[in-house]
Amino acid sequence: MKISKILLLLAMVAGVAFADPIPAEALTQSGLVMRDRQLRDIGLVMRGGRGGFVDIGYTYTPSSEQLQLKSKYGVHDGFAFRHHYGIFGSWALDSVSHLGFLTWFDRVGWDSQDFFFFPHYGDFAHISSSFTWGFSYTNTKYDVTAALGLQHQNLELASHKVYPNESDSLLFYWAHARYKNVSLQASFYRNTFQTIRLSLDLESRSLYGGVSSGYKTFLPNLSATIYRRKTNGDDDNFVRLNWEQNLYEQVLYADVSFDFPDDGFRSAALKFYPVPSRLLGIEASCLRRQERSGAKDLLWGGAIDLFFLRLGYNTVFDYENMFHAKGTLIAEIKVSLGKIGRDHFGRGGSQPAPMVTTEHKPDLKKILKARAEQQNLGSTSIDAQGNKVIEAKGIRYEKVDGSATQGGN
Amino acid sequence: MKYLRLFICLVAISLTACMSHVFTDTTTRLQVENKTDVMILGVDIISEDGTSVQPWIRDAIEPGEKSKVVEEDWVGTFKVRVRWAKSVIQENRCESVLAKEASDKKTTEVHINKTSMTDCTIRWDDKSYVELDFEGGSQHLIVSQDEDGNVAFKLK
Repeated sequence: MKISKILLLLAMVAGVAFADPIPAEALTQSGLVMRDRQLRDIGLVMRGGRGGFVDIGYTYTPSSEQLQLKSKYGVHDGFAFRHHYGIFGSWALDSVSHLGFLTWFDRVGWDSQDFFFFPHYGDFAHISSSFTWGFSYTNTKYDVTAALGLQHQNLELASHKVYPNESDSLLFYWAHARYKNVSLQASFYRNTFQTIRLSLDLESRSLYGGVSSGYKTFLPNLSATIYRRKTNGDDDNFVRLNWEQNLYEQVLYADVSFDFPDDGFRSAALKFYPVPSRLLGIEASCLRRQERSGAKDLLWGGAIDLFFLRLGYNTVFDYENMFHAKGTLIAEIKVSLGKIGRDHFGRGGSQPAPMVTTEHKPDLKKILKARAEQQNLGSTSIDAQGNKVIEAKGIRYEKVDGSATQGGN
Repeated sequence: MKYLRLFICLVAISLTACMSHVFTDTTTRLQVENKTDVMILGVDIISEDGTSVQPWIRDAIEPGEKSKVVEEDWVGTFKVRVRWAKSVIQENRCESVLAKEASDKKTTEVHINKTSMTDCTIRWDDKSYVELDFEGGSQHLIVSQDEDGNVAFKLK
């Protein structure tokens, strides 16, 4: 075995061995996290508003000691999981109008046994899901998209032993509107808003008809989201500002987020996509957890995305979407691919992937052999009288069943 | 071909994502053996702040006896509390008596950790629990007492 393989195994073992348990409180927040992430994903897909997009994946955490649960009683062995898919498809009504349908589904939680579809429902399990669906309409002539739909948040099971009471079967509704590179997205519960997001995607993207180089590609992508929160019954709304900035040729990006008015710096990430279509990616990230003071509060991590496998360690994404998981390597087996016309791209990509060309190498031996056979078989010549003569090189027998007449052949 | 092979490997590995529990125990079947001179009224898991209690073994265990085997989902590291019966000296013999009702708090439940028992008195320190690591499967908890009267917990 090569040394590099041994090092990889060591890293994976160490990644599991030093894992911190996930707090029970983070699981009760999973509904908020899922709904927001789904709407953010939908916002990215609505940048084009046509074509198709698919994102399917699940986390692979093979050890029951990797993502233990920290409850008020102690530390429980078990499995945190996240199964998800997001699918968007559209068809063209005419040359400029596109009607689309989208569904996003996440099922997340923690259980004492691992599973794909049928949970064990252990005594300390917390399983919840969020399902977002809706319709979209895009007009390419005016470059506008409008989408709206519903969002269901269901609590499948939350053990009363360790989790506080939660509301079940919540129904939200959401709407998204885009004009050129300005988007407004909102979600509501009854008559109160949950999130309102204004996005300015100023960066020019060739995927959506922009340019692929020049100063326009260095314009920032900004979004501000107002989150409705209650703390001890009082309104505690806050604004999260996200700033994505192209640093070099749409392959190197910085992604920073701030919380207003109180908490300030939230996270920063440096992301490198070897191709601007974002089918592959490497990132380093830093998160301020608001748990400790000073530099100890920062969580540093990194991830590598290999199209159908993502390996993350302490990244912002894993911390937020895997219930504050840290100190462990999280593998996600997934596929995420978008398509507009003949262009392919990954989530949030700015340029289409280079067209895949398949080379057809002519096999010279085969061609020569075939040609030689052609010349040998059925070669015609002309005899002295000027008649064409066909020389048979082999005799072919054909099977004839008994009932058929023998005369014909 | 190379990528196809890699993909097939990934699919094969990913199928193990629902299989781990087949090879590991996700419940603990606990039996408690009382090797002390004092009767045990039950064994509980308690929360860190001591306000929440989940009873595990509900039987009273006489000195020298074993409890029934009780299967629960506790796999991991938890705080275990033993409920002791009150002990008194009767006719120069150490005898356990059942605890009184909760109205008389001083005599109902004695929460101990590094407990020492001498002359039928139980001493305990501030921490009223012992932290034990349950690995799952069949486990045998022996609660014993040494010559000085200190209580020891041994999980097999």
